[in-house]
This record gives sequence, structure tokens and C-alpha cells, in this order.
Amino acid sequence: MRFDLSILLPHLGFLLEGAVLTAQACALALLGSFVLGALVATAITSASAVLRRLAAAYVDVFRNIPFLVQLFFFYYGLPELGIYLDAFATGVLALSIAGGAFSSDVIRAGILAIEPGIIEAAQVSGLSRAKTFTKIVLPIALRTSVRPLGSVFINLILTSSILSTITLNELTGSAKIVASDTFRPFEVYFVLLVAYAVLTWAVSIGIGLLHRRLNRDMMEQVS
Amino acid sequence: MRYAEFTWFDLVLLAQGLGVTLGLFLATSLIGLLVGSAWAVIRFYRVPVLTQVVTFLAELLKNSPVLVQLFLIFFGVPAFFRINLTPVDAALITLSGNTAAFVYVIAVSAIESIGRDQVEAARVFGLSRWQVLRHVIAPQALAFSIGPLTGLLVNQLQVTSLISVIGVLDLAKIGNILNLRTLKPFIVWTAVGLLYYLAAKAIAYLGARAERRLRAHSAWKGL
Repeated sequence: MRFDLSILLPHLGFLLEGAVLTAQACALALLGSFVLGALVATAITSASAVLRRLAAAYVDVFRNIPFLVQLFFFYYGLPELGIYLDAFATGVLALSIAGGAFSSDVIRAGILAIEPGIIEAAQVSGLSRAKTFTKIVLPIALRTSVRPLGSVFINLILTSSILSTITLNELTGSAKIVASDTFRPFEVYFVLLVAYAVLTWAVSIGIGLLHRRLNRDMMEQVS
Repeated sequence: MRYAEFTWFDLVLLAQGLGVTLGLFLATSLIGLLVGSAWAVIRFYRVPVLTQVVTFLAELLKNSPVLVQLFLIFFGVPAFFRINLTPVDAALITLSGNTAAFVYVIAVSAIESIGRDQVEAARVFGLSRWQVLRHVIAPQALAFSIGPLTGLLVNQLQVTSLISVIGVLDLAKIGNILNLRTLKPFIVWTAVGLLYYLAAKAIAYLGARAERRLRAHSAWKGL
């Protein structure tokens, strides 16, 4: 069979719609996993043993169970509790929770990497514990963990393809439809593979630039 | 008549699914380790053309969703090249390739972690490039990379759940079947998740033991 990409041209609009849905899901899940990750990282570095234990258990469970199983658990399990969410909301929720476990690890590492001298200086200056955390610790920790957070985000984009299994027609889901419409699965999935690779490559370059921009005044330490 | 209740045979089904998952995991990890190490050796010898091909391939495999790779191999390749592939074949090829790409990255950084002076000293003593690789680099690189490799294997175990989408009867697929029959998603997915969790913990434990063993030579022995 001939390798012919022109058969994809009439379906580009449809694939683009799927890509937009993927982008929306990823953006929302990025926000969710970032907030969740920051909260959990706060809990895991806190002085309270109960909070630490709970946060560690959350990270442990959601890092060691396949995303597919978590997704099915939410997709089939939530309606049984009387919570009716559509596929998109369920997907974003599951992605956020799974992504939160990974990003909390990154942010935790950022918090633990802060020099004790900085925190002591804040204490000596009379800042309250909450102020020290929100104004000193978190900004530094988040700033230095931009790059590792970026690789968590790239993983999130790749993982979002699994949402096609719960009937969400994001990029992979719509490619599946195009493949069965055109009977040319090789071309469709090949283009999809390259598209994902280019997308994640572009995102990683963007994250590198953001990292440099945010850390421009301490480049020699973090570069 | 519909068998909506759980039966004792369901435990056998779960055990079968776990067996398929673990079997495919072991097989693809082994092949992936071999192929990935071979790629790293190609890079170590700086083979022209092949080095660039391998680097590009590894980047492409790392930066695209495993689900899309699976679809390309299972739906695309048979349609394009007119060959027959069973779901298990497709799963073996895809997961091995994916593992190989990540092993390649770990192996390359492990080889680079060994100081150039060691290699130069060994060369001065008249060791061939192969002897340097075999007796100087490989033992140290293995001790260096066992930690990242354990992390990778835990991750790859979870990636195996995706092969249920193309119809391999692994643990996730068994979960799906039981879920659709009994309509008790909480119990089914919790049980499946627990089995994955325990398997992941077992891999992490074995990895930690192997790491202690490999690092025993440099451990603090006391005075």
C-alpha cells in the first residue's frame, strides 16, 4: 500500500476539534493538579504528623495504581454515589488527582531544597509562620520547580490520550474515528504520533524559556 | 439468566489477569532492557548514522502516548504491511519499544556519569574499548542506574494496563469484564487497583534490595 497523507486533508478540521478538546482538558487538569499538588506538598512538609501521613498515603496510592484503573474507578464509581459527571468532567477530575500526586512530589522537593538560612531570616524578621510560608517558601519553591513541573505537565498531555477510553473524543478519540472512516489507520496514527511528539517538544521548549525568565536573577544557581 | 453476583471463580479470573499482566511485564521489561542497552552501546561506540537514528527513535517513543503507539502497531501496521498481528504480539512490540526508549536514556546518563579519567586510565593500560565497557563502565553504570530503572519498571507496570484497550486479557481487562457483569464498580476497581498496587510495591522492594547489593562495595564498613 502507498503511504499517502493527502487522505487526511478532509478530516483535518475534525482532528483539530479533538486537539482543542485535549488542550482544554489538559489546561484544566494542569490547574487542578497544580493546586492539589501545592496543597499536598504543603501538607507533606507540615509539622502535623496526621497531615503528613494522609498526604503521603494519597501520593503513594495514586502513583502506584495505573491511570486507566483510576479513570474507570471514577467513571463507573461516581454515578453509584449519586454524582453524575460527564466524560469530560470525570476525565479532568481523574487527570487532576493523578497529576496532583506527581506534582506534589516535585513541589515538595522544591520546598525541601530551600536553605534553612532563608527561613531563619524570615523568622528573625518577625514574620508569622503563615506569612513565611506563603510569601517566602512557596514563591521560591515554585520558581525552582518550574522545569520538573513541566515534565509532569508533558506527562499529563500524554496521559490525556487515555481519556479516549471513556468515550471522550479528544485528539486520540477523534483520530480513532477518522481511522475507521478512512480505513487508513497507519497514516492516521503515524501523523498522530508525530503530532503528539511535536506538541510535547514545543511545550518543553516553552517551559525551558519560562524557567529561565522566572529565575533570571539567580541564573548561575539553577541553570 | 445473568450472573450478577460475585462467584469464587472471579478470583481465578483475577489471578489469571494478574498472571498475564506480570508475564507481559517481565517479557517486555527484559526485551526492553536488552534493546535499550544495545542502543546505548551503539551510542558509546559513536556508530555513524545509527546513533542519530536511535536517538531520534528514542525521542519519538518517549514523547508520544503509549496508547497511540499501541494503535499504530495493532491497527496501522497490519493494514499497511498486510501482515497479521495478535493483540499479544502488538502489546509485546509496543511495550518493549517503549521500555527500550527509557532504558536508553537511563543507560546513556549512567555511562556519562563515569569520569573520563577512568576511561583514559583504562585505555592507557591497554584495554580495548570493549574491555573498558565490560570491566570498567558496565559494573559502575549498573549500580548508578538501578535506582532510576526501578522507578521506570514501576511505571512500566502501570503502562501495561493500556494493552487492555486492544483486547489483551490482562488485569485491567478482567476488571472491565467483572465490572460490566456485576455492576459493582467500587469493589471491582478497588480489588484491581489493590493488585496493581501490591505488584508495584513488590517491584520497588526488589529494586531497593538489588540496589543495596550492587552498592555494597562502596558502603560504609566502619573503622
